Amino acid sequence: METLSNLAFGLTVALGWQNIVYCFIGCFLGTLVGVLPGIGPVATVAMLLPFTFGLGPAPALIMLAGIYYGAQYGGSTTAILVNIPGESSSVVTTLDGHQMARRGRAGPALGIAAIGSFIAGCIATLVVAFFAPPLADIALRFGPADYFSLMVFGLIAAVVLARGSLLKAIAMVCFGILLGLIGTDVNSGVIRFGFGAPELADGLGFVALAMAFFGITDVVLNLERSGKQEVFTSRIGRVLPTREDLRLSFWSIMRGTSLGSLLGILPGGGALLASFAAYMLEKKVAKPPRAFGEGDIRGVAAPESANNAGAQTSFIPMLTLGIPSNPTMALMIGALMIQGIAPGPQVMTERPELFWGLIASMWVGNLMLLVLNLPLVGLWIRLLAVPYRLLFPAIFVFCCIGVYTVDNKIFDIYQIGALSALGYVLLKLDCEPAPMVLGFILGPIMEENLRRSMMISFGDPTVFVTRPISAAFLIAAAALLLAIALPALRAKREEAMQE
Amino acid sequence: MRIRAPKDFWAGLIFVAIGGGFILLASQYRLGTMHRMGPAMFPTLVGALLVLLGAVLALRSFVLAGEPVPRFYARPIGISLIAIVLFGLALQWLGLMAAVAVLVVVSAYAARDVRPLENLALAAVMVLFSVAVFVWLLGLPLPLWPDR
Repeated sequence: METLSNLAFGLTVALGWQNIVYCFIGCFLGTLVGVLPGIGPVATVAMLLPFTFGLGPAPALIMLAGIYYGAQYGGSTTAILVNIPGESSSVVTTLDGHQMARRGRAGPALGIAAIGSFIAGCIATLVVAFFAPPLADIALRFGPADYFSLMVFGLIAAVVLARGSLLKAIAMVCFGILLGLIGTDVNSGVIRFGFGAPELADGLGFVALAMAFFGITDVVLNLERSGKQEVFTSRIGRVLPTREDLRLSFWSIMRGTSLGSLLGILPGGGALLASFAAYMLEKKVAKPPRAFGEGDIRGVAAPESANNAGAQTSFIPMLTLGIPSNPTMALMIGALMIQGIAPGPQVMTERPELFWGLIASMWVGNLMLLVLNLPLVGLWIRLLAVPYRLLFPAIFVFCCIGVYTVDNKIFDIYQIGALSALGYVLLKLDCEPAPMVLGFILGPIMEENLRRSMMISFGDPTVFVTRPISAAFLIAAAALLLAIALPALRAKREEAMQE
Repeated sequence: MRIRAPKDFWAGLIFVAIGGGFILLASQYRLGTMHRMGPAMFPTLVGALLVLLGAVLALRSFVLAGEPVPRFYARPIGISLIAIVLFGLALQWLGLMAAVAVLVVVSAYAARDVRPLENLALAAVMVLFSVAVFVWLLGLPLPLWPDR
């Protein structure tokens, strides 16, 4: 019952007129930018980060969360109408969603995506409200060694569940950690890897890193690809799905929501894995097994519910452990730090208005997305007609101004340039930026916890395997690595990523 | 010996170089002991791991076949980088309005289908938009004009 009274308290925070306005602005801007093809949620959140600088921590986080699920939803619209996933988690939506659009059923596809996302969002909000507090309680008892092992586990899990080469992903994590260590060492006061540049004393800018890797390099790669896409803007038809559609998709939405909520909690899970898994499950269990891949409405309903549920439950590790499960959550942590709040289990007890306000605002935000998206679909579609040659200079403007306003340092603009060049080369070599960003955020925290646990244990490294919690995390991490190294499982994983 | 997975080979080499570089740079700081770790300890450990992973990746590329390195197109990345640097210079010396104009006008040439007149119009719109939103609406401290 305590949870309910806490939720009620959260609602009073979220329903304050100020927070409602920021939630609305966040959802609106998030959808607006998310709809634009080729801009994923990470870039969207990073680009719109400056909009929250003038706000307090609670409204800032509420607005960022709104931007995040707005961008998620906007990505689905693009997926259905243009067949370009606005972000990786709506890749599967293109399969059936775009087919529906080609058959003149774009309206119901968009409608069911909105309705499914709303239902999933409501349920996932409750999941977060009920699961986060006990997890935070447990986390408060963690010692530094436990924390270190938890982060090792989190990073390994994120890498295993990501796509692409495992070896490269782990290497990128290490690279990210090293980049995260640039700047003043808190213990000794030494400026590490500063190259004599006083601007590097505060470390590399996280916003610059995220924008360079997910914004600028993405634009550059899009420009290299440039091909014509068919956009269905003329015949959307009625947006509301028929009663038959709703009956057909109800259980798909439920299955997608449960799977998504579960996978979202896992480090590295989040929206991407959730939508893939939900689509595969749907293909196996849905009856009658009609034509998936040829415009089955359930092929839209399930992954769309799953990615929204996953997007929301991925807040659980972020809020309770201070550990990002994906790059967007890493940005959220970055935003918290800019606001002067150390993320971790203590946030719930020390800043209840922030914690519960954010959770309650998720529900408010989902309602807003529903009322925003169904009537405004026409507006979003018109955005799709904007040619990329007009769009990408605007993205550059947002990135450059955004990165400057974090600290008002010209140096950060050159940083984003240098990091974009680096990101371009790495992406060409198939080195994914997501693991690197997680390493970047977690690196300094890992070092701190490693140092502390070594202090306590007098330099005895066995502390990591003798403490039960720490040992459990390390065993889990090792098991994951082993599982993925086994050829049979690897084949399965590759098959799943192919689809 | 033939490189069968060029992508992996070069990625591995880059990782070895980066890891090695960090270890080298870290050597000027105090290493400390495991009990009391100095500022050099953690970067050295992680750097060593990165070198190891990079070496495995590079050596493996002689055995396992993989994809070739895709073509690097100079125009999009080159012009984008030039535009960003010009934005930085312009913001420092000429203020926000000039900086945004320069960024838009130059970066548009990263694409092949640029239309000069349309591009100028876009620059004007973006200048107005940035001033209205970032300076007036959000009140961010951006210099509009040259200071001196």
